[in-house]
Amino acid sequence: MNVIETRDLCKQYGAALRVAHLNLNVPEGSVYGFLGPNGAGKSTTLKMLLGLVRPTAGSIQVMGKPMDAHNRLETLRQVGSLIESPSYYGHLTGEENLRIVQTLRGAPVKSIREALEIVRLDGQRGKKVAHYSLGMKQRLGLAAALLGYPRLLILDEPTNGLDPAGIQEMRQLIRELPDRFGMTVVVSSHLLSEIDQMADTVAIIREGALVFQDKLEALHSRSRHHLALRTADNPAALALLRARGVDCREDEADYLILPLLPDSQTAQLTAFLAENRLGVVRLEERQKSLEDIFLELTGKAASL
Amino acid sequence: MTLLKLEFFKCRRRKIALVCAGVLAAQVLWMGAFLFRQDGETAGQEWMMLFYNLALLDAVVLPLSVAVLASRSCELEHKGGALKLLKTLATPGQLYAVKLAWGALTLAALLILRTALFLGLGAAMEFPGSPPWGRFALFTLISWAVSMMLYALQQGLSLGFSNQAAALVCGISGSFMGLLSMLFPAWLIRCVPWGYYGLLALVGMAWYPDTRMTRFFWQWPAPWDLVLLGLWAAAFLAAGQALFMGKEV
Repeated sequence: MNVIETRDLCKQYGAALRVAHLNLNVPEGSVYGFLGPNGAGKSTTLKMLLGLVRPTAGSIQVMGKPMDAHNRLETLRQVGSLIESPSYYGHLTGEENLRIVQTLRGAPVKSIREALEIVRLDGQRGKKVAHYSLGMKQRLGLAAALLGYPRLLILDEPTNGLDPAGIQEMRQLIRELPDRFGMTVVVSSHLLSEIDQMADTVAIIREGALVFQDKLEALHSRSRHHLALRTADNPAALALLRARGVDCREDEADYLILPLLPDSQTAQLTAFLAENRLGVVRLEERQKSLEDIFLELTGKAASL
Repeated sequence: MTLLKLEFFKCRRRKIALVCAGVLAAQVLWMGAFLFRQDGETAGQEWMMLFYNLALLDAVVLPLSVAVLASRSCELEHKGGALKLLKTLATPGQLYAVKLAWGALTLAALLILRTALFLGLGAAMEFPGSPPWGRFALFTLISWAVSMMLYALQQGLSLGFSNQAAALVCGISGSFMGLLSMLFPAWLIRCVPWGYYGLLALVGMAWYPDTRMTRFFWQWPAPWDLVLLGLWAAAFLAAGQALFMGKEV
């Protein structure tokens, strides 16, 4: 079952289509990485999922229910969120901040302590949030999102402002959430390596449009080793190889792409092509890195 | 009710009581200084003189005070980006209404306390005649209603713009306009929202050039002016709410 489904979701500001016909499918119990360069439309999309921004067109279903003005709040009772930067009242203590969220969400009082313990802020609960470091505020924001153990957690760049140890800790925590609390987590980032470490399902957007959505393994499979073959007549070679049952395709740079084959089989193939008067001009073993794939998909350099 | 309780909870350590104490202190000091300088010309009319000057004081002090209270309540939502979270837990309409309710209760408490203080002051200074209880109650109600009309304006500005300078400049200008409007003809006062403290005053003043004497007299607010007050309030409320609810965070 999908916890979130969007159909043709669009957001237009003036003449600019910032989110273009997004069809997202977030499987239940997954850590869904929402990846894209800065300005790709990630935050706008997440805000639309939460009803903070009105879609120009399209539909959103959260936990099987369409998100509209009537059931928005009822649905969001089961959704925790941390968008862009943590929301807080600086003149109140961390515990007082969480009390506000706990009351509004109708969660039990004990969930405040539990949330503070999860993000390891229980020792600072009596301190005014104005005196918290950026990383502590970020952790408080996550605690507010976790309060009452919602079924769905939407986190927009949650590691912003954290030190390296904090980043590792946050990633570890996000990875554990589905198993520990049965949550589904949607986490956005412009950092490919971050999503690679946390997510099991990935969506990549570029200029508001979805360019990839699948399991993380599917993205990794694109980075596997393969053979690049160039012959005197590629279309003829392609037809012959396919007829022989070899899984191959033609890429944009006049190469035929074949899966990595054992040496003996590769030798047989080149002999077979020569027998058919198709001279092999180049034969290379290649591997695409995840960054190459990201670059290919988004047209922008990956942030690592 | 839960939201309203939370609104008071959120205003902890915002020095709201200190702001209210400052407003009361300013009014008591101003009125005290005025009363001690009286030369007996208004003998027998002390209660009326008190009401007249309270309306004047309200016109000067309350517009700015209302602006400060609205700003103290709304600024906290902007500072930590709390609206992003709140709007996922309550509707924008509920959030707007509860802030208004907080303002209504705070202003009611402030003005009731103010009335009690000046009743006590009149009694302590042995003003002749029994205190006009009914008029005090009506005066408090009018002050509150005019203040709420201005609160609707100030809340719209304070919630609509994260920078509170615009709201506070509006409050300062309002205090100035409130005082100045006392000199306007009635038709012009009706066009100045801050002038309604004077327009709806329960006591009028007449000055007789022949005897060079000032006389006060009781008066009642015109029903039409009360309707206009309601219209101003409705307009500010609708505009502020539209600004807040239409804003994407």
